[in-house]
Amino acid sequence: MACETENGAVLRTENLTKIYRMGEVEVVALQDVNFAVQRGEFVAIMGASGSGKSTLLHLLGGLDTPTKGEVYFDGQALSKLNDDQITLLRRQKIGFIFQFYNLLPTLNATENVALPLMIDGKQAFHYQDKVNELLHLVKLGGRETHRPDQLSGGQQQRVAIARAFVNQPQVVLADEPTGNLDSRSGKAILELLQQVCKDYCTTIVMVTHDPKAASYADRVVFLKDGEIVNEIASQNGSVPIDQIMTIMAALES
Amino acid sequence: MRALWFIALRNLSSRKFRALLTAFGVLLGVSVVLAIQVTNQTTIDSLRRVFDRAAGQASLLVIPSSQKNDNLKQSLLPTVQSVKGVSIAAPSIRVNTLPADEATNWQINLNLNGVAAGNFFLLYGVDPILDPQVRVYVLAEGRMPQAGRYEIVLTRKYAEDKKLRIGNWLILLTPNGTIRLKITGLLAAEGVALINDSAVGFAPLKVVQDAFDLQDQLDEIAIRVPESISSKPALLENLKQTLQGRVGKNGDVVYPDSRGAVVSQMLATYQLGLSFFSIIAIFVGSFLVYNTFSMTVTERIREIGMLRAIGMSRKQVLATVLMEAFIVALFGSLAGIPVGLLLARGLIRMTDAVITPSEEIFSVSALTFLEAIAVGIGVALISALQPAMRAAKISPLDALRVRAHSDSKPAKMIWIGGFFLIAFGYFIIYGTDWPESWMFTIGSTAVLTIFLGATLTVTLAVQYLEVLPRHLAAKLYGNEGRLGSANVRRSVGRTTLTVASLMVSLTMIISINSVATSFKKDMGAWIDSALGGDLYVRSAITMRQSFGNQLKSVPGVATVTPTRVLEVRIAPESLPKNTLQNEFYLYAIEPDTFRQIADLQFTDKQADAEASWARLKRGSAVFISNVTADRYQLSRGDSITILTPRGKHSFTIAGVVLDFTGQRGVLYTTYQDLQTYFGESGADRFTLKVAAGYSVDQVAEEIESRYQKRRHISLQSTQEFKQSVLDLVSSAFRLFDVLGLIGIFIGALGVVNTLTMNVIERQREIGALRSMGMTRLQVMRMILAEALAHGSMGGIYGLLFGFLIAQVMILAMNLMIGYNLSYKFSFQPFLVGLAIAFLVAQIAALGPARRAAQVNIIEAIKHE
Ligand SMILES: Nc1ncnc2c1ncn2[C@@H]1O[C@H](COP(=O)(O)OP(=O)(O)OP(=O)(O)O)[C@@H](O)[C@H]1O
Ligand SMILES: [Mg+2]
Repeated sequence: MACETENGAVLRTENLTKIYRMGEVEVVALQDVNFAVQRGEFVAIMGASGSGKSTLLHLLGGLDTPTKGEVYFDGQALSKLNDDQITLLRRQKIGFIFQFYNLLPTLNATENVALPLMIDGKQAFHYQDKVNELLHLVKLGGRETHRPDQLSGGQQQRVAIARAFVNQPQVVLADEPTGNLDSRSGKAILELLQQVCKDYCTTIVMVTHDPKAASYADRVVFLKDGEIVNEIASQNGSVPIDQIMTIMAALES
Repeated sequence: MRALWFIALRNLSSRKFRALLTAFGVLLGVSVVLAIQVTNQTTIDSLRRVFDRAAGQASLLVIPSSQKNDNLKQSLLPTVQSVKGVSIAAPSIRVNTLPADEATNWQINLNLNGVAAGNFFLLYGVDPILDPQVRVYVLAEGRMPQAGRYEIVLTRKYAEDKKLRIGNWLILLTPNGTIRLKITGLLAAEGVALINDSAVGFAPLKVVQDAFDLQDQLDEIAIRVPESISSKPALLENLKQTLQGRVGKNGDVVYPDSRGAVVSQMLATYQLGLSFFSIIAIFVGSFLVYNTFSMTVTERIREIGMLRAIGMSRKQVLATVLMEAFIVALFGSLAGIPVGLLLARGLIRMTDAVITPSEEIFSVSALTFLEAIAVGIGVALISALQPAMRAAKISPLDALRVRAHSDSKPAKMIWIGGFFLIAFGYFIIYGTDWPESWMFTIGSTAVLTIFLGATLTVTLAVQYLEVLPRHLAAKLYGNEGRLGSANVRRSVGRTTLTVASLMVSLTMIISINSVATSFKKDMGAWIDSALGGDLYVRSAITMRQSFGNQLKSVPGVATVTPTRVLEVRIAPESLPKNTLQNEFYLYAIEPDTFRQIADLQFTDKQADAEASWARLKRGSAVFISNVTADRYQLSRGDSITILTPRGKHSFTIAGVVLDFTGQRGVLYTTYQDLQTYFGESGADRFTLKVAAGYSVDQVAEEIESRYQKRRHISLQSTQEFKQSVLDLVSSAFRLFDVLGLIGIFIGALGVVNTLTMNVIERQREIGALRSMGMTRLQVMRMILAEALAHGSMGGIYGLLFGFLIAQVMILAMNLMIGYNLSYKFSFQPFLVGLAIAFLVAQIAALGPARRAAQVNIIEAIKHE
């Protein structure tokens, strides 16, 4: 696929640091993180609770601004962009998947998937085929007109995934996408992510607590107290779960 | 108990902004109620005070007899003075006149009720020694006039307006020419100086009597009694009886405030309107409170479930919510007091413009404040009751359940009930016949019932009408507009209340505007036909009838008809019992010339115009106005007894005619009857018809050049007069426009409240949309679109019910005042209303929209 020919880092950070100040107290959420993600790569980020995973993800997606350092998206320094420019970047090049789905309760599955297109001012019906294709891909064919409260958690998360991909983003950022799901639906979602990552040559950065989930990635990055402390790459299509568990155990002790 | 207060306080302080909004709802209700209360009280009091001041420290007054149409005789004075218990008896006489230099540009002013009252100078003839002992004179400079001398005191205000100083001469018109009075003193704006809007002066009695050919005549004897009598009602009543016995048929002995009472009656209609408005304010204020509390409870389902799980009883949950409401209401009410007073100031100014005399003094009692606070707290508790009960029903299990996002379809019962209420309200108004004294209560209850019914049907409209604004929103705001508009269907309850509050305020504006328009149209038509002619020639002093012939000889004058206006009194026996006002206006006309120029419309449906006119011309007959007919329960064929200078005389009512001059009774008779029964002639007004080929201005100029200098006449074209009357009507309705504006403000608050709640509640969603690439501007547009949906639904409802309520209001005016108005449709109020609905909703939405645009994405998406 086009993916293999076009190499290079789509996301890169330089001394990325985030410090929260609450009165006297300073919380260092991220400390000098240098990290790069290649085009089409599926990266999992792991770490104990409070280690800075979400913070990193938010900075990568331009949802938050760093205290120090820089995020380069496709070579573009995010700090040089204003709020509207970053918003447009997110709209056109980044997809988000959250732990709590965050679907609009008033819209049905199709409309929720088409939402990013609507935000972009497009007439949703021109993209009907594409939306349907995505809904089929996430195995929700026949559920198009159901609204979120008529869907299970796993189904809602699949709608959220379809939504994240509808704009053909270069990067999808997922924060614990399987955190609220049972293992079977979780597995389905991870397989789906893996598949679309390859099919559409989309870069995926996924935060997770679950070693099983992380094992679907091409590479797992470990955070501790806001710093990258370890990294393992996949062997034969998956990252060995026992290795992940060993490292995690060491981090949490 | 302590713990509950603690929890309640904590809940409030953790949602400060919302608590503030709720308090604002209370503040609004309280301040409007207070302001209206204070305005009503103050206007009544200040009017009463003016009359009290005019009567001063007098405990009793002797006024002309209601059995005869004549002045008091001065010879009565010694009789009165000799009665034991009378310490001072001060005689006075009043005449209306004008400074000579003003005569030519003198115009008729109209007061609120359309009664023509000239901007006269009111000249009192008094005893300079005795009068200050019964009335309040506060000299700013100079001294009182001396008895028998050609001297006068003026009010400082009047003197300043006319650029007069002590030592100057004031020249006043009299029936025989003019009189020159030297100004000796100026009065400060207190006591007597407030009479007649300060256009008043006091000269020695004899001087005034001589100048105006009123030798030995009096209008009033003010009586002062010792404190020992005046403080005991029984003794005073005794003295009153004794005096009446002495005075006999030559006069009536009355308590001074009876005139104040008449005036307060005038205010009554106005005040009813105001009171009705305060009910509306409470209605909408309670929306706001209900809105926030019901949201707070929804949001806290888990928390309350948890509290229940650890042992809080249902009663305690209920109590906590009500305590919150109490705390918020207390603060809201307290803050509402200064705001209410401020508002009252504005309202009083507005009332001033229409009901002349009032002072910068507030009439507020501690009780009024307490009442307002009680209303605030009461309304807040009642509005919070339903949410509180809902909170109490939450089971511990609810804490464990994941909140389901479902938009509830409104129960069928609700909107069916709504339609039922509308029909019921409609039936009350149109299907039944209520006694007049119940009219206001029943009428406003019916209107509220209709409003309530309409509110309930909004639940249905939100489902089916929302598609209309959605198209509009999509046009204006694109895709995010579509999203925003659809959002109104999510919290049907909240949307309903917002739409309802917009509807209520729009209805007010549209209906008042429609009534004003109809009123003006009818009044304009009436002026055209009943007054007719092209030109009025008037004089402050009655003109000779023969002057009409001279006018007729002016080139270009086709027809001339004279009118004479007299104040007459009606014998009490031909009026309903307890009628305070028995002074009527009697218009004398010359039927033949009159009908060449103007036309009276008979409101009595069976009446034959020709027969009615024929009856009038036969003599001993009058026409009465429709308002008079209604107020005094008179109709064609009845007879009415008028006190004439020659004794009582009974006149047959030959017809009931359309008339807009309000407060007093209005009678028409012929010059012949005027001559026969009142011994009067002359004309106060000539109405002229200009011949074809001549312009009104041309004729007016010719008349001015011939007669203005010599005759002290003033000319006014019918068109000018009509305009001045219509302007007056507009200013009378302006107060209600202001109320409408307050209503709009309230409606806007409803929009702000709801949208703020929605934004707070949908933070997560907004965060998610932002993360998907929605710009801040788009978020704002989305919220604006939601407001657009509120505005357009409120607008549609407002138009519909404005149309209905306008007709109800006209009906009510016809029934209560006796007018014969008919509803005239005009687009303007509806267009204005619709524009207001859209604009107000958009402006109100700006704040919440900005708030939404500022939502911190990370904070928003972080927590469940
Ligand atoms: N708004 C904030 N203000 C102050 N401190 C914060 C804020 N957000 C995060 N932190 C702190 O920053 C650190 C990193 O937080 P972050 O949410 O990135 O952790 P995480 O790795 O995602 O944890 P989890 O697995 O529990 O989601 C934590 O110590 C947290 O307390
Ligand atoms: Mg996290």
